[in-house]
Amino acid sequence: MTPSEALLSTRGLTVKYPYGDVQNVVIDELDLDLYPGQIVGLLGESGSGKSSLALALMGLARHPGVVSGEVNFRGKNLLKMDDEELRQIRGNSIGLITQKPRQALDPLVNVGKQISRVYRAHSHASKADAQVRAIELLRSVGINDAERRVNAFPHELSGGMAQRALISMALSVEPDLLIADEPTSGLDVTIQAQFLDRMWERARDANIAVLIVTQDLGIVANYCDRIVIMEDGKIIEDRITTEFFADPHTAYGKKLILASGAGTKSSNADVAITTTPEILRVTDLRKTFEVEGGKRLQAVSKASFQIHKGRSLGLVGESGSGKTTVGRLILRLADPDSGEVWFKGERIDSISPKEFRKYRSKIQAVFQDPFDSLNPRWPIERVIREPLDLHTEMSKAEKGARVRELVSLVGLTDDILPLRPGSLSAGQQQRVSLARALATEPEFLILDEPTSALPPAARADMILLLKSLQERLDLCFIFISHDLSTVRELCHDIAVMYLSEIVEMGTSEQVFSAPSHPYTRALLDSVLFHDPSSRRVDRTVKAELEGEIPSPVDLPAGCYLAARCPMAEQRCRDDHQALIEIGPSRSVRCWKSVEASK
Amino acid sequence: MRRYVLRRLAVGVLQALGITIAVFFVIRALPADPVSRIVGMNPTEDSIRQARHALGLDMSLFQQLLTFLGFHGNGVFTGSLGTSWVSGSTVLSEIAITLPTTIQLIITSFIVALLVAIPIGMATARRPGGKLDKGVFGYGLFAGAQPEFWWGLIFIFVFYFKMGIAPAPLGMLDPMLTAPDAVTNFVLIDSLIAGDFTAFKSALGHLVLPVLTLSFLLVGPLLKMTQQSMSRVLSSEFILYQQASGLEKKSIGRSTLRSALAPIITLTGILFGFMLSGAVLVESVFSLNGLGQYAVAAVLNLDFPAVQGVILVISVISLFVYLGLDLLLAKIDPRILVK
Repeated sequence: MTPSEALLSTRGLTVKYPYGDVQNVVIDELDLDLYPGQIVGLLGESGSGKSSLALALMGLARHPGVVSGEVNFRGKNLLKMDDEELRQIRGNSIGLITQKPRQALDPLVNVGKQISRVYRAHSHASKADAQVRAIELLRSVGINDAERRVNAFPHELSGGMAQRALISMALSVEPDLLIADEPTSGLDVTIQAQFLDRMWERARDANIAVLIVTQDLGIVANYCDRIVIMEDGKIIEDRITTEFFADPHTAYGKKLILASGAGTKSSNADVAITTTPEILRVTDLRKTFEVEGGKRLQAVSKASFQIHKGRSLGLVGESGSGKTTVGRLILRLADPDSGEVWFKGERIDSISPKEFRKYRSKIQAVFQDPFDSLNPRWPIERVIREPLDLHTEMSKAEKGARVRELVSLVGLTDDILPLRPGSLSAGQQQRVSLARALATEPEFLILDEPTSALPPAARADMILLLKSLQERLDLCFIFISHDLSTVRELCHDIAVMYLSEIVEMGTSEQVFSAPSHPYTRALLDSVLFHDPSSRRVDRTVKAELEGEIPSPVDLPAGCYLAARCPMAEQRCRDDHQALIEIGPSRSVRCWKSVEASK
Repeated sequence: MRRYVLRRLAVGVLQALGITIAVFFVIRALPADPVSRIVGMNPTEDSIRQARHALGLDMSLFQQLLTFLGFHGNGVFTGSLGTSWVSGSTVLSEIAITLPTTIQLIITSFIVALLVAIPIGMATARRPGGKLDKGVFGYGLFAGAQPEFWWGLIFIFVFYFKMGIAPAPLGMLDPMLTAPDAVTNFVLIDSLIAGDFTAFKSALGHLVLPVLTLSFLLVGPLLKMTQQSMSRVLSSEFILYQQASGLEKKSIGRSTLRSALAPIITLTGILFGFMLSGAVLVESVFSLNGLGQYAVAAVLNLDFPAVQGVILVISVISLFVYLGLDLLLAKIDPRILVK
């Protein structure tokens, strides 16, 4: 394709933010062409300018940024247009879907009004007609009960629903170019798959040009025709997706491909069921939280599992599945309503907090947000030394030696010791968290989404680090994550959670090679493999789930998945399902799966 | 909604009562004797006893409280705030004269201040570092560093003494005019009711300098709040999204203002409660017989009923102002639940 066929092309596009007398340049003389019917993935580390570029393509910058250069849409420079002409293009010919759907909606105005405002801004529809159109649009993006939902305010919507409302706004006028800035980063994987599938279809059917800003190489591999990588406000690689995956040109691109482990499969797979001593046993753990209106939210229900020395359990599920709560219950950051937690043959859920203190050095944790879990005012040296001060009798020199040992263990160097957490990257911060957790040589770790808040390259490094530590230190841990490919790389055993319950358990090999529960299958199906040769859009996906996750406050009587499950029958809606063993160390909570396994 | 208002009112009444009772005890704990101010120099034992009896101070504290509240004859519960020990007229009638003067002054000042602060705040938030923004910064340094009575004096010096365009800073009306019949005690309203436009114009003229002084002061915090709130909303995701959706400028402007309004409203409420008694210096400078003046005189004269009355009235007014503002906030922002 030649530039003359481009729908939108930028020349020397620059975005600057004035800070006093200093100009902070976030987009630097950038040239980019977008063509009709082509889906382009825009990748880069955070701060590389991808989001600024997405906005600048509409001639916009976050307050108080300034856009300059050329943005030619159908050959006409957006930046030279008068307000009215520009307004007609924005939201009409170019649609935008942003990263934070709920923040993108005006919190003071109901959704229906916001949709009809956009519609009316580009048509001569009356208020009443626009309202009718708003209901139609909401229904078209799969919101049931659209008549009632048009009157909902943004804070009354779930993230997924807000995202759909935004999509319906962006598509209300059938744009020629759709810009989607990390459109699925706040969504659960099964919902993400639904959304991307639909967007892909729309783009193909209506010959729309699409630019997806993303951190996820999986999205690029599965949905994009072309990949553009940014660094420091410049494009460093602009390739056809398949060519890029075969042979990335830039160092950053190579790192991405290497880190994504495209093609490599699990290594932990088929370690047999071991007879090493049991470290942790959890039985019938249950936790509910009171919510407004006196109702109770069921966070964890009857969770039971055990972990043996040297093994790792992956706790997988979407947001709200209760996986994080399980970790918090074991750590005694919350008290269970009922059930037992045993650590090396001793019960630790009912002892006093004071007695529990002696287990703190044995059971350690790393949490999702690296920066929030480090005291911003302490130098790294003190952060890592703190557990040694609390739990050991070491001398000052011994502690110093141990801190340096830990730092090198997590792949950092001594020169970060005097720094404060704020001056480290997210990946480095998370390594510091890990070093702190390992300081007292714990026998058991809880890793709660330690890779989720990291940019892709740092995430990959972190996984490699955990893998090597696992081998060297014979670590025993629970790895909590919604990211199946990470879990597969790191864990021997898997427990899949859905709405407070464990729905399937087994070894990694068992679960990944032959998922049994419909939810597990859908979850696996929505994994976007980093491999453009087997794209999700080319497969026929059978296990797709429909609709939204039910509220954990008003749970259905029967199987919790029944409303979304493609296999559901009347019996599923009536009878609550029990977790039934279907083989050695393998169980599933679905009567159909149990029957099928016989 | 109605239940919410009723509950707020019930709690508010209890609060006001609690404050009044607390004040009742606190002023009686002061190491000053109101009797000595009444009996004059060299009093006899007898005249002191008589005076104590006349003021009701010979009863036990508890009995005094019951009397004040209205358990023996007229009191707070029957709508009486007692009789001033200094003037001999009822506290309520005195407040009825002084309160409207103050309310008229501060409401007009707030209207002027908001009319100035909001547009300028919006404009400077849009163009940080612009000429207007720099001007506002200068004003903040300049105005914030000087007390309000000083500005009042400067305005009098410039506009009355030097330029002669403002009326003499002596009260609400020209001394040559007869006041219109008192209906509401708001001079502006009373003169309109009486159809006396000369008095109306004079009253308006006399308001100009005090209002200028007060609003000159009020604009500072209101402007700062508008600026901050506006720039927060302007850099918010949803305003950006509205621009990206090609909404009309006017429509985006309305959304921005509405979202930025809540902190401004809250601040207005806080400043209003403060100004009820805090306008006293401005009242002094311009010889306005307002509530602040009345309160200060009451305290200096150890006029217990007047002090109690003023504080009760101020807390009740603040109560209604806060309630009104909370309802307004709930109207603007659906996330604030009024149950």
